[in-house]
Amino acid sequence: MSVNWTRDAAAHLLRRAGFGGTPAEIDALFARGQEGAVSYLVDYDAIDTSSYESALAARNYNLLKTIGLQQWFMDRMAFSPRPLEEKMTYFWNLHWTSGISKVKGATLILNQNKTERTLAMGKFDDLVLAISQDPAMLVWLDNDTNKASKPNENYARELMELFTLGIGNYTQTDVTEVARALTGWTVQNYNKATNYNQATFVNNPNTHDNGSKTILGQTGNFDGTDAIGIILNHADSAGSVSGRFLGAKLWLYFAGTEAADYLVDELQGVYVSSGRMIREVVRTILLHDDFYADHTLKTWVRSPAEYAVASVRMLEADSDFSSAANSLAGMGQVLFNPSDAKGWDWGIAWMNTGALFARATLSNTLATNRGTSGTHFDTTALLAGADASTAEKVVDLLASRLNVDDVSSEVRSSWVDYMNRNDDGSLGTWTNTSANVDKKVRGLVHVMLTSPAFHLA
Amino acid sequence: MPFTRRDFLIRSSGFVTVSAMVPRWAVKGATRFEESVAADYPNRTLVVLELMGGNDGLNTVVPFTDPLYGTLRSRIGIPTGSVLQLDSRQGMNPVMTGLKALWDAKRVAVVTNVGYPNSSLSHFQSRDIWHTADPTLAQRFGWLGRWADSVLAGSDNPLSCTAISQSLPKTLLAEHVRVPTFLSLASYQFQTDGSFPGDHTNQVNAFLAQNGAEYEIENTPSTLSGVGQDAISSSDILQTVGTGYVAMGAYPDNSLGAGLELIAQIINANLGARILYVTYGGFDNHAGEDVSHDPLLTDVSDSIKAFFDDLDGHGKSHDVLLMTWSEFGRRAQDNGSNGTDHGTSAPHFVVGDAVVSGIHGDPPDLAHLDSNGNLSIQNDFRSYYGTVLSDWLGADSSAILGPGWPNLGFLNKSYA
Repeated sequence: MSVNWTRDAAAHLLRRAGFGGTPAEIDALFARGQEGAVSYLVDYDAIDTSSYESALAARNYNLLKTIGLQQWFMDRMAFSPRPLEEKMTYFWNLHWTSGISKVKGATLILNQNKTERTLAMGKFDDLVLAISQDPAMLVWLDNDTNKASKPNENYARELMELFTLGIGNYTQTDVTEVARALTGWTVQNYNKATNYNQATFVNNPNTHDNGSKTILGQTGNFDGTDAIGIILNHADSAGSVSGRFLGAKLWLYFAGTEAADYLVDELQGVYVSSGRMIREVVRTILLHDDFYADHTLKTWVRSPAEYAVASVRMLEADSDFSSAANSLAGMGQVLFNPSDAKGWDWGIAWMNTGALFARATLSNTLATNRGTSGTHFDTTALLAGADASTAEKVVDLLASRLNVDDVSSEVRSSWVDYMNRNDDGSLGTWTNTSANVDKKVRGLVHVMLTSPAFHLA
Repeated sequence: MPFTRRDFLIRSSGFVTVSAMVPRWAVKGATRFEESVAADYPNRTLVVLELMGGNDGLNTVVPFTDPLYGTLRSRIGIPTGSVLQLDSRQGMNPVMTGLKALWDAKRVAVVTNVGYPNSSLSHFQSRDIWHTADPTLAQRFGWLGRWADSVLAGSDNPLSCTAISQSLPKTLLAEHVRVPTFLSLASYQFQTDGSFPGDHTNQVNAFLAQNGAEYEIENTPSTLSGVGQDAISSSDILQTVGTGYVAMGAYPDNSLGAGLELIAQIINANLGARILYVTYGGFDNHAGEDVSHDPLLTDVSDSIKAFFDDLDGHGKSHDVLLMTWSEFGRRAQDNGSNGTDHGTSAPHFVVGDAVVSGIHGDPPDLAHLDSNGNLSIQNDFRSYYGTVLSDWLGADSSAILGPGWPNLGFLNKSYA
C-alpha cells in the first residue's frame, strides 16, 4: 500500500511537520512528491536561513525578557524557512524545557533553546548529554546542588521518568544511584550580579561520588556520562527502552494519535539501527502510511503557541507576536515557564472554557487589527485573484486557506449564514464591497479561527 | 437560578434549530440522569484545594515531641518550641496562624498519614492516582468527575462544577459533565469586532452553531464543541458574578487568595455550585525549602482563613466544606540542598462547620521508615475521599471508589 499523495496530504504534512502553510507553500510541497517533500522538510540543513536570520535579528526582540524570548521563538516557528527545524525544537521544548521563574537567567533559557535546535535531529545521546550539562536544566532540576555528601535525586528521576525511559522502566534504587553518578555536574558563575545569565557548566570532581554504583543492573564507578550511556543502552525483551519511549512520543507529536504497538516496535528498530539518530525516526514517521491514514487527520490539538503561529502563517499575516505572547498564560501555556518538569499535557488537555475564550480573544485581536503594527493581515489580499462574489465563495476560499474545509455541510452552512446575516438578525445577501469585506471577512476569519476544526492540526 | 441550558439554547439560537444545537453528550447523558439518584445534599458545596508539587507534611504539622524529628530535619526543621500546638504531640507550622484560628474555633479536622501503598514517587503518576483515586490508573475519569456523572449528568446548570485553574483538573474530568475552567472572569467572554458591535450576536451565533454541529471525527472535535458551548453558557451567567461584591475577609495578594475570593463570589451568587476547585503550586522543594516553604504555608493558611471569614460575613459558610490534597508528602530526612525529595504520606486539612474537630490519625511514625526513608501510610487516600463523598456529598462512596475503604470519622454525620 502506498500513500495517495494529494494536495491535502501535503497540507497535512505541513501542518504536522511545520505550523501550517500558505496555499503557495502547500502547492510547492505537493509538487515535490511525497518522498521529495519529506526529504525537503527533514534534511533541512540544505535550506539557507541567512536572510531570515537577518530579518529576525532586525526585529530586535528583547531576549533578556521572557516575553521577548516567546516572541522570538514564535517568530521562528512562523517565519523560519525550515519549518521542521522549529517543529522539532518545539518538540524538545515541550519535552524538557526549563522554567525561567526558577532558572531566572533569560540567557540560559535562550541557550537551552539554541542547544535543542542545534541537536534537534542528531544522535539522541548527544542531546541528552548536552541537556544534562545545560546550565538552565542543572538549576531547574537541582542537579547544581547534587553532591556526593548530599545527593539530590530530582534530575536523576526526571531524566529516566520523563526524558528517556518512562515510568516503570527503572526503580527507586536506580534513581538514587543515577543521582550519585550525576554528582559534581553543576554550574559556575550563577549569581545575581550578572542576572544569572553567565552561568556555565562545570564538572566538579571534588563533589563527585567516586563510589561504586549499580544502575539498571550494571555496577561500576560511573559518572554522569556513563549513566546516560547505560540509560540509553537499556534494553529489554522488546528492544530498546528509550527507543520505544522516544518513538512513541514522536509518533504522538507528529501523528496526533497514540502509536500502536507495531509502530512503536518499528520506530525503536529504526532508532537502534540508525545509531539513535532522531532524524531517521522522524523521517520514518513522516513517510509512514499510517501517518497519512484517515484516523490521523485533524487529531492533533494545537497547543497555544501553535495556534497563534498557525493563524499568522496561514493568513500570511505579519506579527511581532506581542499579542500572542501576552495571551499565552490565559491559553494555558507560558512558553519557557512550565509549572513543573513534565511541562504541559497535550491533546484535549489544552482545551477548557477559559483557554478557549483566551484563544478567541487572541484571534479577535488578529482579525480586527486594521493597523500596521502588531499582528495584522490584508483582507483584500486574501481574496485577490479569486472569485469572491458570494458568501459561499468567500467561505470556501477562507476555509481552504485555513485548512478547515473538511467540516460538515452543517458547519459550512453556519458560516455562509453568518456572512449573509444582517445586524438586526435578518437574513440578507452578502455582496463584495470593501465595507462588507472589512466587516464580514474579518468576522468570518475570527469565527473560523475559533472553530473546533481550526484548533486541530 | 431560573435560567437553564435549554432556555439559553432557545434564546440564543436565532437562525439554527434547537435540535441542531443540543450537544450529543447532553442527549447521551439524559438516560443516565434518569437512572441516577439525586444528591442528598444539593445545597452543599465542596471546595477542593490542590497543593501542587508534593507538600512537606512534616513541616506543616510537626511531631514536635518526637526526638527523631530534629535528627531527620537537622537542616530545615521547624524549631519545635515555636509550633502552634494542636495536641500534646503535634503542632502546626508557626506561620499557620490563620488556620490555627479556625482550628481553635473547632472548624478544622487534620487527617494524618494520608497516602497509598507502593508509590513510585513520581509526581505525575501520583497526581494521576490522586485525581482518579485509582492506583492502577485504569480509571479514565476523576473521582469527583465520576461523582458528578452519577449525580449531575443531564443537569441544566453549566456551573455545577467549576475549576479556578489554568487547566481542567483531572479530578473533575467527567464523561457527561463539563467543567468551566478559568483563572479570572475579566476576559471570560467571547469578544468580537469592536468596530461592528451590531455584528456581535451574529458572531456568537456562528460560534455556537459551529460548536453545535456534528463532526465526522468521533472524539476530539465533539469534545471541543462541548467546550465551546459551555464557555458561552457559563460566561453568560458568570458576567454578573462579582459585581458589587464586597469581600468580608482579608485575602492575601496571591493567586490562591484571588482564587478563593472568586470561589466565595460564586458561592455567594447562588449558582448551584457543587464542586469548586482551586490549585496552588510551588511545593516541590528539592532545594531551598527553608526559604520557600513557610511563605507557601502562610499563603495557604491566610487564604483559607480569609475565605471562611468572607463566607461567614455573607452567611454562607454553613454549606461549604474545604479539603486539601497534594500528590505526596516528602522524604523524612532533609537532603543536603536544604530541601526534601519525594515522599509518601502527609497530613491534610478539612475545614468547615461539619468537621469533627481534631486530629484523625497518629503522628507520623519517624522510627519506622520504609526502605527509601519514607513514612508509612496510615489512612488510605480513598478513605479520605470516601468520608467526604458519603458524609458531605451524601453519595455511595463505594460505587465511586470501590468497596472497603473505612470511613475516617472526620465529618459529623448528623450535621444538617
